[in-house]
Amino acid sequence: MTTVPFSLTRVGLIAAVTLREAVRQKLVAGLALIACGFVLGVRALRDFNFGAPELKFIADFGDGVIAGFGAVLTIVLLAQLFFGELESRTALTLLAKPVWRSEFLLGKFCGVVAVVVVFCVLLTATLSVVLWQRESALRVEGFATLPAGVGFDPGALWVAAWLHIVRLTVLAAGMMLVACIAQTQLYAIIVGFSGFVVCHLQHVAQGVYSRAGSSAMAWVATLIGWMFPDFHLFTLEAGGAWTFEGVARLTVYGAGYAALALGLAVWVFRHREI
Amino acid sequence: MTGGTKPAVELRALTKDFVVGLKDLRLRAVDQLSLRVECGEVFGLLGPNGSGKSTTIKLVLGLLRPSAGESEIFGVSSSRVEARAQVGYLPESPNFQRFLSGRELVSFYGRICGLAGVRLKSRVEQVLGWAGLTEAADRRVGTYSKGMLQRVGLAQALVHDPQLVILDEPTAGVDPLGAAAMADLIRQLKARGKTVVITSHLLAQVEDVCDRVAILDRGRLLLCAEVASLGNRAVASSPESLDENDRAELARWLSARGKSPGAVVAAQSRLDRIFIDEVRKNRSDSGSGSA
Repeated sequence: MTTVPFSLTRVGLIAAVTLREAVRQKLVAGLALIACGFVLGVRALRDFNFGAPELKFIADFGDGVIAGFGAVLTIVLLAQLFFGELESRTALTLLAKPVWRSEFLLGKFCGVVAVVVVFCVLLTATLSVVLWQRESALRVEGFATLPAGVGFDPGALWVAAWLHIVRLTVLAAGMMLVACIAQTQLYAIIVGFSGFVVCHLQHVAQGVYSRAGSSAMAWVATLIGWMFPDFHLFTLEAGGAWTFEGVARLTVYGAGYAALALGLAVWVFRHREI
Repeated sequence: MTGGTKPAVELRALTKDFVVGLKDLRLRAVDQLSLRVECGEVFGLLGPNGSGKSTTIKLVLGLLRPSAGESEIFGVSSSRVEARAQVGYLPESPNFQRFLSGRELVSFYGRICGLAGVRLKSRVEQVLGWAGLTEAADRRVGTYSKGMLQRVGLAQALVHDPQLVILDEPTAGVDPLGAAAMADLIRQLKARGKTVVITSHLLAQVEDVCDRVAILDRGRLLLCAEVASLGNRAVASSPESLDENDRAELARWLSARGKSPGAVVAAQSRLDRIFIDEVRKNRSDSGSGSA
């Protein structure tokens, strides 16, 4: 009997086909265009800056657009591609070949992450151009020396982009686990969004429960903290004075959660009937 | 890697139950099925809709887990990835990545099966040629007709030159010319020493190409026999089954009434007759058993 070892080549082939399929989806093009439109048109919304300096408002708004649209893209795209493959029975033909189920899942996951990377890079580049143009215009208008910390910092922008990619990768891995458990696409999407909200707001729950003084509630908060990654940490690092150590720590933190979620997804999918 | 004397497919008391609804109700799709498909033969798996043919094939391919029993391909358990290394599979009503061209699709599956370089290229062209898709190879699969989808499905199944080819309803929705071409291709595969397992509702075609057939109904094996031996079971429903004297008398009888000898023909092939008889018998037995 010839053994068939796990193959990164097969993972890459499946990822490449997934990427090609994804970029043809109207959802991806639509979300990317709308997000780009928001970033390019951000100056029209500057009246809502709540007193923040204009460049900071543009940067924060763009960051929010990447985070929000990126999350929608990750959750819906992964659910569509996963269930589309099962419902159209293309998975049947593929899994009838000498392909490990883990290769199939990782291929799908890598294809979605590739889309996420392209999305984040595209929007961050667009945001950089918008910020650079506005900063140049402000200088021409007379703000020759912008106050310290107010000017456009490309480094911080790209660090934020990297942290978006890490966070969305974790989200994609979690979503893969949900999709492997779920029987319908709608259920997977609803649970995916709920999980995303929990990941973002768990620091609030932890704060409340720890202040409540109840050991049972503190225990629940700790459990949630272990089960769900804290996405607020990424926001804090990107919004503050980031450090290489902080970014590296968060990257390892995200990679750990992503690996765990993918491991569980592979285990669930191995027992799933196609 | 055909495993020497090991059968191409061996099923031992294979059983599959599906859980239906929330009350843990179980629907038995395959019931204690035991079969052997020997290397080099063309084996037909027949049965009415819902008889468990496709479920059996999915169990053989490891896409479903059996509730009980075992399934092996060339002596390797179907649950192992290695079991599928020498298998080509054409699913029922195949569907593929619509944005790929026919050539890209077959090439993708070839690379998935470990082909590369010149060998990949030559195999892709070869199987596209066999499938009659050379001219349409650069068109997107999304523009293919149903018959062309079936053919590109066959091309992807054969691209890695498997020893065992499993065809699930390969002629469903295909015109008579396409069905005849499929029958020719199955004969070619047999001539090249491949094992073919085929499910089909075109019983006359199955009878024409298969060495052995098995009839399933409600997941149970009703009959497994060589096609050649089925003639002995055929009832006298066809003029060919009469002896020479009776045929001559029948011809005279028809001639006296101004009819040609060909006016009486077998309404159904012998396999049709056996198929219907066996399924009806099974259902009446099940009915009386459950009453």
